[in-house]
Amino acid sequence: MSTSVLTSVPGNIWKVLVSVGDTVNEGDILFIMEVMKSEVNHNAPISGTITEVNIENDQEGVSPGTIAIIIE
Amino acid sequence: MFEVIKKGLETSLQDYPGRVGFLNQGFPPSGPMDSWSFRLANLLVGNKPGEAALECQFTGPALKFEHDHVISICGGDMQPKLDEVAVPLWESILVKKGQTLELSYCLTGARTYIAFSGSIQSELWLGSKSTFHKAAVGGINGRAIQEGQKIALGISNGKIGKKIKHNVIPEMSNNGIWEIEVVKGPNDDWLDDNGYQTFLDARWKLQARSDRTGFRLDGPSLSFNKKATDKSPEHGYEPSNIIDQGYPVGGINLAGQTPIILVNDGPSMGGFIVPYTVPSASFWKLGQAKPSEYLKFKEISVEEAQEMRSYQTSICSLESII
Repeated sequence: MSTSVLTSVPGNIWKVLVSVGDTVNEGDILFIMEVMKSEVNHNAPISGTITEVNIENDQEGVSPGTIAIIIE
Repeated sequence: MFEVIKKGLETSLQDYPGRVGFLNQGFPPSGPMDSWSFRLANLLVGNKPGEAALECQFTGPALKFEHDHVISICGGDMQPKLDEVAVPLWESILVKKGQTLELSYCLTGARTYIAFSGSIQSELWLGSKSTFHKAAVGGINGRAIQEGQKIALGISNGKIGKKIKHNVIPEMSNNGIWEIEVVKGPNDDWLDDNGYQTFLDARWKLQARSDRTGFRLDGPSLSFNKKATDKSPEHGYEPSNIIDQGYPVGGINLAGQTPIILVNDGPSMGGFIVPYTVPSASFWKLGQAKPSEYLKFKEISVEEAQEMRSYQTSICSLESII
């Protein structure tokens, strides 16, 4: 079963901390967005393996609700 | 009383018109960025339009209620749900004891207001309950709401099922471009004619590094007249420098070549020119613009700005409730 991690805010991708093939635990930080001069962490909702990363460092103008990462 | 389960992004208590009259002491007005939606939210639950309510930004909170309470949600669409069931915006609704209201990311707009019948219990600070987090004053302990906090509400005596007339609901941009009215000045002779025209012709991109202090814009370079380039040294080195002056709320500060709109929590003075000012009636659009959306400015007169404000005040009234 796969789970999509969506961006929760509009803004820029500051750091992507995982790559395809990485294993993550529930709660691990997957990527950090920047909006309103704040860092907004996006955490893994489940434990599993990263199968898709659709964002990159310093990517600007990302809409909320974008499928950023998929975990299986 | 409700408990904060998820805090959202800098969700804060604000009231309207905020902390007015203290710019000379360095305190900005604060208050809701979209005061149009804010006032309608309060009216829906039987409050006065300026009572304290929550401003949610970009992604909203989850709140668990300890008593039955009438609330309303107005502004951008953060897909509000009550125990996983979608609830409408622009309408007064009943939240029952034990239920959790959860807001998500914004589908339209950028800021949403949650008003509570009887308002939120909080102390006045310099005459306002608005949060000004940079000075850690107002609101709940001077900061945004925090997970685990329990926040006391006034007595709920609002009625459910009240709605806002469709024709007075602010219309969100559906193409990522916002037309923002501006009034020329106060420094209305520092750019040259080409500079002013370029400012009005351009589409300015809202940077992610924008917050309730200032909205930073990306766009073309502006050209100056002799007043800016050949001036006495006390004005500073850059063409956009001027000897320190008071800033109007809504002033569009030109920092080098970066326009910064000074919004609700903005500074009261500084040393950059302010070629244009956004009138208060247009602030709601700034509050609903997302990063990477575009602002297109339209010059209007002071009289037109005053008419816009009068109109907005007139519709933020009980006559807009059905």
